Amino acid sequence: MATGSSPGPEARAELAEGLHRLRSTLARVRAELEVAIGDGEAPPVERLLSDLRQALEVLGDVEAAALGVVRVLVVDDDERLGELTARGLRRMGYDAEASGRLRSLRPREVVVFDLGVLNSLDAEEHAALTVARPIVVTGAADPGARALADDLGASDYLVKPVELEALVAAIKRRMAE
Amino acid sequence: MTARLLVVDDEARTAELTADLLRRAGYTVDVAASGTEALERVRAGSPDLMLLDYDMPDMEAPEVLDSLRSGGSRIPFPVIILTGARHSPADQVLGLERGATDYIVKGTDRQVVLARVHGALRERSGSPGAITRGRLHVDASRGEARLGARVLKLERRPLMMLQLLANHAGDVVSRAELLDQVWGSSYRGFEHSLEQAVHQIRRELREPGWIETVRGIGYRFVARS
Repeated sequence: MATGSSPGPEARAELAEGLHRLRSTLARVRAELEVAIGDGEAPPVERLLSDLRQALEVLGDVEAAALGVVRVLVVDDDERLGELTARGLRRMGYDAEASGRLRSLRPREVVVFDLGVLNSLDAEEHAALTVARPIVVTGAADPGARALADDLGASDYLVKPVELEALVAAIKRRMAE
Repeated sequence: MTARLLVVDDEARTAELTADLLRRAGYTVDVAASGTEALERVRAGSPDLMLLDYDMPDMEAPEVLDSLRSGGSRIPFPVIILTGARHSPADQVLGLERGATDYIVKGTDRQVVLARVHGALRERSGSPGAITRGRLHVDASRGEARLGARVLKLERRPLMMLQLLANHAGDVVSRAELLDQVWGSSYRGFEHSLEQAVHQIRRELREPGWIETVRGIGYRFVARS
């Protein structure tokens, strides 16, 4: 049903890598179950569950690469506002998640980052965020906030209240880079 | 009273697993095995929330949503779509105008599913039952609002908005949230309607101070004696 633009070279490489990992994981699950049945023993449920979780994660990566699904992480210390934004983006076809803090990013994930969370970052997270070139959102339009956003390598800078359309436009600009 | 949810899925095992997850979380859950059965159940009594499988043999989710919406511009309860397929923004298949509250891809972590159900129920504007704040009494589900003995003449959306604000008395409710909850899934072109609704509410209350404008953010309800 989903028909994004055909995947570019980077996405094709991700796709091949993802499919390879998916097959390995599923083959391992099957082998574990066959061995357990052959030995008449209970299968290692915890390990199988962990493998299946991983397989679903990899499947998500594969889908994103193959179908042109754009993944977005909304980081906001106001949980309700973050979830509301993520939900609005999901309705518009984005695979969006909200989080109160920065987590490890999925491949090619776009980050919408509220400056209010800046103080909670350690040096490593700060570096990862800068590499991701986030769309920075802030509650106040003061020059200090602008400088902080520039320091983060922001691809865009939006002042609250952010209309969903403005955010989507910023995500599209970020994806077009 | 626990919230009553309706799980709609043609795969019996999937439906039961979803229902089981929700029952363990304390919800009362009914199950429907097709789009047609879901619509029949809703006619018999609205659930507080519906979890709807996207692909069913008799109808797809957009068709079910269109049927639920017929007669009114907005579905009176949140609908979360469960889908096996990811969608790119270019598709707009799940789109803005169908009236679904949220989407969950199958295989999503169970805690995330519960969080989204919980979130959709919490944000629900026409929350069941009436609310009384000082001399103000609002019951949007019955289309009623009174200030003391005086009946307030409010249209449906200003009434829903007043109830939403009163539910969060003392807290700022953002414009985005009001648009989301009262005007439904579309964000386009309703900013003006929002201002008109606030104007109508203030005019009907005839007393200043109940609804405060928080510049650049939204509105706050202040309970007055």
